[in-house]
Amino acid sequence: MIIKVDRTIYSDSCISKCIYWLSAKYAIQRISAGDFEEISIANIEDENAFEKDFWITLNDFKLRSIIQEETKDIKTILYAKAFFNNDIEETDLTD
Amino acid sequence: MYNLLPFNFTRLSNSEVLVNELGDMIIAPNGTVDAVVNHSLPSNDLYKTLVANHFIYEGIVPPLIDVYALRLRTKKCFLDDFTSLHIFVLTLRCNQNCVYCQASSQNEDSANCSMSKETMDASIKLMFQSPSKKLTVEFQGGEPSLMLDLIHYAITEIEKVNETEKRTVTYVLCTNCFNLTDGLLELCQKHNVLISTSVDGPEWLHNKNRGRTDSYQRVVANINKARAVLGFDRVSALQTTSELGVNYPLETIDEYVNLGFHSIFIRALNPYGLASQNNDWKQYTERFIEFYKKALDYIVEKNKQGVFFVEEFAVIVLRKILTPFTTGFVDLQSPAGIINSVLVYNYDGYVYASDESRMLAEAKDYTFRLGKATDDYEKIVCGDTAKQCAKVWANECIAGCSDCALKTYCGADPVRNYSTQGDMYGYRPTSLLCKKNKAIIEYIISMIIDRGDEVLPIFRSWLL
Repeated sequence: MIIKVDRTIYSDSCISKCIYWLSAKYAIQRISAGDFEEISIANIEDENAFEKDFWITLNDFKLRSIIQEETKDIKTILYAKAFFNNDIEETDLTD
Repeated sequence: MYNLLPFNFTRLSNSEVLVNELGDMIIAPNGTVDAVVNHSLPSNDLYKTLVANHFIYEGIVPPLIDVYALRLRTKKCFLDDFTSLHIFVLTLRCNQNCVYCQASSQNEDSANCSMSKETMDASIKLMFQSPSKKLTVEFQGGEPSLMLDLIHYAITEIEKVNETEKRTVTYVLCTNCFNLTDGLLELCQKHNVLISTSVDGPEWLHNKNRGRTDSYQRVVANINKARAVLGFDRVSALQTTSELGVNYPLETIDEYVNLGFHSIFIRALNPYGLASQNNDWKQYTERFIEFYKKALDYIVEKNKQGVFFVEEFAVIVLRKILTPFTTGFVDLQSPAGIINSVLVYNYDGYVYASDESRMLAEAKDYTFRLGKATDDYEKIVCGDTAKQCAKVWANECIAGCSDCALKTYCGADPVRNYSTQGDMYGYRPTSLLCKKNKAIIEYIISMIIDRGDEVLPIFRSWLL
């Protein structure tokens, strides 16, 4: 079975994460073809069910990537605020 | 107009389950995440819930950013004091022959497999190097009750050092309760030692697993004896689900209720020692998951009938989901419990990263040996082995976990990855630990989604 994925919509990271979880069960080949990527998957029993799951999984990773991109700065600030050790003594260099 | 805060999501029971960095969970209809991400969420009750629970915020900077940061730190507060659980493996000698023994126990009369006083001295010295104000000293084996003199020596020495150290020390004796002598119970009473024991299920099942016809009878008699001397709640029990026991969830729960326990900690077998010879781990894991689900359903039914009875693994998960707090359970931590929360002082004079690490060592695999008990503390907790572990011990940073919506409720386990998959990093799609943890956490969340009115009052009563 071959599924064509539009690389202008789905990043390499999204596709890789999707395939990571599928690779336990299937042998998968990725072939770059311009703005598209052809994903070849062998030995699928129920192709319709597989394709439906594939797109749900891929779209979920796309949603997660949007969240990660939009929140990466605030996440850095939150972790810095949470784990900054304010008990470190700083030397006043102005004197 | 609103902005997003970091969160993840998964799909369960025909709903979307949104989880933020704090472990706060919101159950929402399908299509919610898409609307949130595309900034098209209408200003309704769900919108207000998402604002109130730190999923989205209005304005340029989240108004409660300091509260969020404080809560984030609280969720990782198990790191504040560093190692608090110190396991002393006193001996490999044992007086039972459990079919699933994970600790490579030896016969009762075996030689050269018990801790010397010199190793105990060095281990105690090392333990007190830990900055933790609270120290839990856990005596393990083999069967540690066979080492009464060494337990007495250890407690005496620890108390002596603690006169100046002033730590809060808790003692736990992990015993099979097969032979609790009066002398041992007297020692336990004097020093408030908790007894942690194990019953596998009904009498016939327990005896079959333990390789003795009289095991159940003696263990139950000794549990009652210990309760009488130490106090009823000073004796707790962990259950281990053997290959045979996996067929008897209801009978196992009934046994614990009948023995007067108010809780059970349902545990799967780990692939160490004799247990590693299990024929089919994949099949066992699937059967264990079904065992767990049936047992948890049955426990909920018991509670509905007025019997207060708790499943401890579920409590750990529920505490992470329903409260702002975390737990001290080392198997569901990120960064992992190894070294950060637990150190193991083995009878062989070496220090290991976890209980499982010393079990690997019995198979001549010393990957997680941190050093000798006589080594400097810094070499043990900041040495090369610790540094290797540190690269892969946070599930926020490893493939398969970092994108998992349930990672806040789960943990990283480099030792299990190594022992079952050959490397510390691991491969989540075929990891049976991932499969088991995910299945159980998802089941608990599904119960909340599908039967919230029925199960939430019970689950909340378990957290009081």
